[in-house]
Amino acid sequence: MELKDYIEEDLISLLKGKKKEKILLELIDNICKNKKLNNKEEIKKAILHREKLMSTGIGLGIGVPHIRIKGIKELIVAVGVNKEGIAHYETIDNIPVKIVVMIVAGEKEHKLYIKFLSLVVSKLKNNKIRKKIIKAENEKEIYKILSS
Amino acid sequence: MMIGLEFDILILIGLTILLGTVGSRLFKKFKIPQVIAFIVIGFFLSDSVLGILNKQILSSFSFFNIFVLGVTGFLIGGELKKEIFEKYGKQFINILLSEGLLAFILVTLFVVLIGNLFFDNSHFTWALGLLLGSIAAATAPAATTDVLWEYKTRGPLTTTILGIVGLDDGLGLVLFAIASSITFAITGTKTQAISSMFLHILYDIGSAVGIGIFGGLLLSLIVKKISDKYGIITFSLGILILILGISNLFKSDILLAAMTAGIFVTNFIPRKSKEVFELTNELMPVPYILFFTFFGAQLNLKNLTIPIILIVIVYLVGRTLGKGLGANLGARISKAPITVQKYLPWCLFSQAGVAIGLSILASERFPGEIGSAITVIVTTTTFIVQIIGPLSMRIAITKAGEAGLNITEEDIIRESKAKDIMDTTIPLIYENMSLTQILKIFSETDNLFYPVTDKSKKLLGVITVDHIKNSLMTSGLDAFLLAYDLMEPVIAKAHPDLPMLEVQEILSRYNLEYLPVVSSKDEVFGFLERRQIARKISTKLIELQKQAESLG
Repeated sequence: MELKDYIEEDLISLLKGKKKEKILLELIDNICKNKKLNNKEEIKKAILHREKLMSTGIGLGIGVPHIRIKGIKELIVAVGVNKEGIAHYETIDNIPVKIVVMIVAGEKEHKLYIKFLSLVVSKLKNNKIRKKIIKAENEKEIYKILSS
Repeated sequence: MMIGLEFDILILIGLTILLGTVGSRLFKKFKIPQVIAFIVIGFFLSDSVLGILNKQILSSFSFFNIFVLGVTGFLIGGELKKEIFEKYGKQFINILLSEGLLAFILVTLFVVLIGNLFFDNSHFTWALGLLLGSIAAATAPAATTDVLWEYKTRGPLTTTILGIVGLDDGLGLVLFAIASSITFAITGTKTQAISSMFLHILYDIGSAVGIGIFGGLLLSLIVKKISDKYGIITFSLGILILILGISNLFKSDILLAAMTAGIFVTNFIPRKSKEVFELTNELMPVPYILFFTFFGAQLNLKNLTIPIILIVIVYLVGRTLGKGLGANLGARISKAPITVQKYLPWCLFSQAGVAIGLSILASERFPGEIGSAITVIVTTTTFIVQIIGPLSMRIAITKAGEAGLNITEEDIIRESKAKDIMDTTIPLIYENMSLTQILKIFSETDNLFYPVTDKSKKLLGVITVDHIKNSLMTSGLDAFLLAYDLMEPVIAKAHPDLPMLEVQEILSRYNLEYLPVVSSKDEVFGFLERRQIARKISTKLIELQKQAESLG
């Protein structure tokens, strides 16, 4: 399994928002627009509920909001980068989050979902890759880094 | 209030079955055995009341009555395993002789005593007394076993009842043959040497045993080689009906022949025979309804005169005392378990097929006053004891603690609801629990599936061992994976009052290994896991078996 199999350039964005909820909504909008989904409210509710249970800020400036939800047929991955960092994301190490990878999977895709989460985390834990992503000028460049 | 309408025979059968079923369900609410409902309904349909089931219709069903009696004999034989004879053989003989002979003696004496007040002819009263006394010795197997099966009994009392009702038919036959010969002699109808009389008895019993062994052997050899249910039931019924037909042809005792076949099969192919008897038993509910309803319809109140009514009363008193005291005496002599000594006397009152059969035989052998008096008395007393017998028996077997001990896995499932079987001790996993907390729960309990809930215990999903395995195979996630991330959606759930039959149907329809049990507000009440359902049921079966064994 490789990241490039699931990442799409259209779902990568340089985030405008500065607050957690705002950037989460930006990513959800992007997913729903690109994948032509009509259950935006459900996705939003599930993502926010998950964040309420425990923040997905896993440290090292990474956020991985993730859910499984009814009606989704494939694993959808949206990546957002905010060079200045998002305040109040709530992270283990209190480092502001700069890279957010949102994963939306089908209700029954348990195995793939866990595997992909693990893959994302291990890739982003690499210091060099993280630095390259944050320095990247545009979405195309980020896509290239993640796909390599 | 006779209707006297002519019904199509199929309408009559359908009506009888339906009324019988509705009546038995109604009677069940008052804890009255279903047999009584069938008989009472039969009486209402009889010539004495509505006139729907008339004499002509009833006589056209005589072959059917033989069939039901035969199957009952076969099923009773199936209960009499070698080990039972070894364990209870001596006890059976003692009880059989004392209850059968005492009933015979008391009924004979009482009838003679009352008869002498009304009839001048002492030969007539003695003949009547002896014949009625011999008929009184038999106990009805069909009504008795129907109550035992309805209340799913198991234990020493049940085994003794089955043994006695199976064997006292033979005793009744012997006594009837002796009484017939004496009657021939004293009424001067026909002279018959004692030796020929005994030869006749020997023929009756010997030929029945011979036919039974032959049929039993044939059935065992065939069933041994087949494994499909359809084959087993068709061969069993075919051979059984053949046994009945051959016994009828040779004028042998039908019940004894069928019972011998049952004893042979259960001892010759012990393991395989279980299926033979179970499948045969499953066919019986409908024939039993018809059999007892037809029986109830035979009572004709018009034939009851004052002397006959008095003889009916003394017959009942004599038989009840004889059977009761005799059974108690026999049980005491053979040192039977206390429950047998105490409650067996209340279980042997029923009389039916054999008594009616013998009364018909008596009316054929002694046409005239004796014959017709015996037919009326036996039909009337049978009607009364068929009402009292099952009722007193139900009370006795319940007090002896044997009711409900003979149940199968299917019975438990049929009678249980989700709340009876569900695991209520299963720990809940809350949606915000971390992987480490979940692993701790898994390590402390042996369940394979756990319900995931929110704070208010509302069911959200289920976590399985497989989910945990998948998570452990990945790295770096344990710090931020929650139950919410790991749970799978709930495909189906059960209400606590959902019958277990439906639970099983849901499990197999969705191919599930588990089913959460929730309230109407989706709060988790308990959890059903396939393997735990099986474990719980087998524990219950073992408990009941131990309980039955502890009775003696």
